[in-house]
Amino acid sequence: MLRDIITDKRALFPAGCHTELRAQINRSRSVTILSGNLTGNSRVEVSGVGARVYKNGVWGFSSAAALNDEAARDVLAAAADNASFMDSHIKAGKGPLPFPSEGNLPLNRIIEEIPQEVYIEYLRRLDEYAEKNCKSLVSRSVSVREDSMEKMLLVSDGMSAHTAAPRSYVYIFMTAETPDGTPVDLFAPIGGSGIFTENFKFPEELFGEVDNLYKKLLEKRCGVWAEAGEKTVILGAELAGMLAHEAVGHTVEADLVAGGSVASHMLGKRVGSELVNLTDFAFEALGAPAPLPVCVDDEGTKAVDDVIIKDGILVGYINDRESAEKYGMEPTGNARAYSFSDEPLIRMRNTAILPGESSLEEMISTVKDGYYLIDTNNGQADTTGEFMFGISMGYEIKDGKLGRAILDTTLSGVAFEMLKTVDMVSRNMHWASSGFCGKKQPMPVGMGGPEIRCRAMIGGR
Amino acid sequence: MESRINELLSVTEKGLSHLKALGADTARVTASLSVTHEFNVDSGKFSLFRTLFDRSLGMMAIKEGKKGVYATNKTDDADIVSAAEQCIAVAESATPDDAWALAPDSGHIKFHEENTGADLDRLFERSVELVETIKKNHPTIIIEQMIVTHGEKEGVYRNTMGALYETKEGFYGVDLMFSAHDGENCSSFFGVGVTTEDLDTPFYELGSIKRDLASVEKQVVTRPVDGKFTGTILLTPDAFAGFMGSIIGNFAGDRSVLEKTSIWLDKVGEKVADERLTVSFPVQTEGIVGRDNYTAEGFLCEDFTIIDKGVLTAFPLSLYVANKTGRSPVKNSLDCMVITPGEKSFEEIVKGIDKGLFVGRFSGGAPGVSGEFSGVAKNSFLIENGEITTAVSETMISGNMAEMINNLVELSSDVIADGTSLLPYASFSGITISGKTSEFEE
Repeated sequence: MLRDIITDKRALFPAGCHTELRAQINRSRSVTILSGNLTGNSRVEVSGVGARVYKNGVWGFSSAAALNDEAARDVLAAAADNASFMDSHIKAGKGPLPFPSEGNLPLNRIIEEIPQEVYIEYLRRLDEYAEKNCKSLVSRSVSVREDSMEKMLLVSDGMSAHTAAPRSYVYIFMTAETPDGTPVDLFAPIGGSGIFTENFKFPEELFGEVDNLYKKLLEKRCGVWAEAGEKTVILGAELAGMLAHEAVGHTVEADLVAGGSVASHMLGKRVGSELVNLTDFAFEALGAPAPLPVCVDDEGTKAVDDVIIKDGILVGYINDRESAEKYGMEPTGNARAYSFSDEPLIRMRNTAILPGESSLEEMISTVKDGYYLIDTNNGQADTTGEFMFGISMGYEIKDGKLGRAILDTTLSGVAFEMLKTVDMVSRNMHWASSGFCGKKQPMPVGMGGPEIRCRAMIGGR
Repeated sequence: MESRINELLSVTEKGLSHLKALGADTARVTASLSVTHEFNVDSGKFSLFRTLFDRSLGMMAIKEGKKGVYATNKTDDADIVSAAEQCIAVAESATPDDAWALAPDSGHIKFHEENTGADLDRLFERSVELVETIKKNHPTIIIEQMIVTHGEKEGVYRNTMGALYETKEGFYGVDLMFSAHDGENCSSFFGVGVTTEDLDTPFYELGSIKRDLASVEKQVVTRPVDGKFTGTILLTPDAFAGFMGSIIGNFAGDRSVLEKTSIWLDKVGEKVADERLTVSFPVQTEGIVGRDNYTAEGFLCEDFTIIDKGVLTAFPLSLYVANKTGRSPVKNSLDCMVITPGEKSFEEIVKGIDKGLFVGRFSGGAPGVSGEFSGVAKNSFLIENGEITTAVSETMISGNMAEMINNLVELSSDVIADGTSLLPYASFSGITISGKTSEFEE
């Protein structure tokens, strides 16, 4: 259906301007069972067409919530008018959009519809298991979220691409109380690219995840407050992934570089120890499919890997076509839009610190007094590279051995300073992809890494 | 935008009719049409003009105690039929729960704002004016992104209890993200937003925009706090709102009451904060625009004060959780927070602080249900001997939110109005403030 609306509209593109026309469907399915109550049960489907026109250095965009010929014509005309308005007022006077790309990518997969009762029945059985086997909880919840983007893109340069990208996750939340009655909680996201029935066959497959989360929560409820201050820490793989995305990835997005991020004057300079390598992967990573594969972006650029840090040196930014020209780089397919009504922005895809050669056990054994930080529930960073991660699970390390669990705390630092203190990197690799990156628009992204040993600030009481 | 309210009335009527024909005992249908115009500035330069024509159709049905929700942005006749079928299918897949319900009949009410249309030429002029004013008055500031919008929307809400609400509204908004730079030194980024009904006043003069630009200009050179101490934090209205949002969500929200994890579970009618703290959500107050007139459950919004002179008056519960717990539902969408100001000026409050931090933004982990928090004080300054001194970086603050609002020191008489809230500055004692230590344990 999307292809039918788009493919014959090239003749309507405004002359002499780079133009993108995109028809898109975003679907989401959500179910939540909270302490046995079905509190969330919804399906959402949003679709429409959007057009973007580039004229002499400025953009016009328009979208309409309809999938038909009239809507496609209307948004093309409105986007062209908006580009002309901006051109007449701003007079940026730039040349054509660089890096044209040609090709024709047929639909990569069909997204099958799953009846709502499939999600509910799966969660109900998982919840029954948690209720029966996790007796010390004061509350629990299990959720499913499946979402997808299907896009049909037509670009004036010659690229046309029809892509579909579903992902699905189960989230398990648990709350228990410390001996003095203070609530403590943990959650675990499980899943990845693909529709629900591809990732989840039987609830029994997740019983081990329930047991593991419960075990960690029981340790946490007897946990201690971390000691505030600068410490030697081993960041778990999930935290290394968040570091790659939040604290480094955003600072090297070229629009933020242009806005004066810390990376704007660090290109070619050392930003980490020689053990630090960081790449934004397109559709494959380390010999396997990337968590959320991207083959082409919404400007029509074919996606390739973007090496950001090599052996500790900052070697690249994350670009769209316009910024790639500005910084003398090649675009790598990072201009992405979330909804039909969104214009493409410079976004990450699957951003990761690359594995090293150490074992986790060896790393722990080298720490005299520090922390092993495993799970995070939140992460923020700013353009200076200063970051803050909420730590929801971790352990003391005393004389090379894991000690007591710690209660909720935070980790903070300045990315390009902290990465210089990295002195061990594990050979493990863990990816996470269940969340949305927020930057004007939401966007599904993958982030990954190994365990790394470094110095950073721990919050605490 | 030409009024199409009759189209929306027809869409919702058909939707409700289909849902009832498919067996819904109770149902709600909403529909809207909107046009949004938006100018974007990136890295200080105008880059994009967007126009969005959008629509929405939302359905909720309760059939034999089973609830389903379906939402789309298609409103043709065939789409309405399909949406109703999907909504009922989702409901039928659920398990029954008698707590699902809608509010009693409130009748047919029109909430029509005047002058909802956009003056795009004037909006563009105001946008250019703001960019030029910042260049002139704040030369070290780089606008990372500025988004200036006008949104115009018509909507209809209709349910089986007899509620029929029509809305027509239009607002301007500006969101500004910026940082200050001097060579390779730069501040943290800072974001500020304002909503307004008209373009009578330059954007620069609205909300806290001018104050925030001036403050961030002084944050180019920073240093971490030495060591760790217990002190007083003075929060900007925006940072204060962030803490209050976490407090309400953690201690009084649906989830914490339903799961009985709220540490305020038995505190209704009792003192939970300093007696000078009053937090309310009025339906109509001067300086507030863009309010909601009714809730998703069909209640007409009424003034709601959650904390009155330090006393927790009620939990802001959905009708579902209210029915599950035997409590009263909130008849308010909690969109527009108003906190009663104090008597001292911002400057007088600063003079009263021996050692602490003036916190412009808090970058913290999601606070646990216990209210413990810790995070980085961003866009912040050290306060020493009654004076704001150096800007800080790599400085953390931690404490407990429930204890914090009992340790209120002052609320300012200065109030910032950003179109969706009216908030003072607020200071709190007993907060742990820590910077880099000089210890190196290995």
